[in-house]
Amino acid sequence: MTSSFAFPRFASAFGTAFAVFYVVALKLDLALFTVYPSLRLVVLGTHRPRDVVDPALGFLAPAMYWYGWAASAACGALVVGLLAALLPEGSTRRIWLGRLWVIPMFAMVACVYLTMPWFRL
Amino acid sequence: MMATALLIIHGLVAVALLGAITHQTLSAWAPVNTRPGSFFGRFRTVPPAAFANAVVVLYLAAAVLGAIIYLDFRVDVRPTLEQAGHWKVLGFFDLKEHFVAIGAALLPAYWVCWRRPRDDEPIRARAILTSIIAVIVWWGFLAGHITNNIMGFGA
Repeated sequence: MTSSFAFPRFASAFGTAFAVFYVVALKLDLALFTVYPSLRLVVLGTHRPRDVVDPALGFLAPAMYWYGWAASAACGALVVGLLAALLPEGSTRRIWLGRLWVIPMFAMVACVYLTMPWFRL
Repeated sequence: MMATALLIIHGLVAVALLGAITHQTLSAWAPVNTRPGSFFGRFRTVPPAAFANAVVVLYLAAAVLGAIIYLDFRVDVRPTLEQAGHWKVLGFFDLKEHFVAIGAALLPAYWVCWRRPRDDEPIRARAILTSIIAVIVWWGFLAGHITNNIMGFGA
């Protein structure tokens, strides 16, 4: 019985926590790793192209942070999800699946807000 | 060449996903007492839960393919769009990345809602969660499609 209810608790907490951690990672630029596709290079943490190549050649080594942001959020959400799975059933019944959609929806709005600079250019 | 092939497969998977999630979302919101012969009545005859596994598999396939193609996009396509000043398109595409990541993390809960529903679980929550995934899939499809074609528009 416990394991059959543990997965729903994990799933709900993981989805909610990921949304929060993703927005935090995006806002604070907390990428677990940075990908340089043209150099076929992966560097731990958030790195700027100027850390890898001469600033004048930065356009030759575009950096990608999305994979790192998602990985950072996934790590945090995994911890929260596992902790939620360990909680007793009764303590979480009212908060999980029923209101799961609220935080991800706010996270999407936050992503829109953080992306607004693109639309002002 | 490989990126083009992957992009086409990505697009085909996205079309299948779009159909499945749209059908499921409409079924989830359609009234139970819909007239049997009507459009929504026919929608209702297919159990929405039957789409859950397909949606999860197709979403993950589309996301993984997109993540692979994204490497080529960043090196070969995005600089061209930046030089052409397509900033809004790049903004829409960035939102696609963010939404897809958030949606992927919701898949386990989405699957639980449909495949292992509990008696005390509000049905509306399941419909809203499915709608969020549907919005993400539609946004991803349209943003990807526009980004793919933008240099052809009026060029």
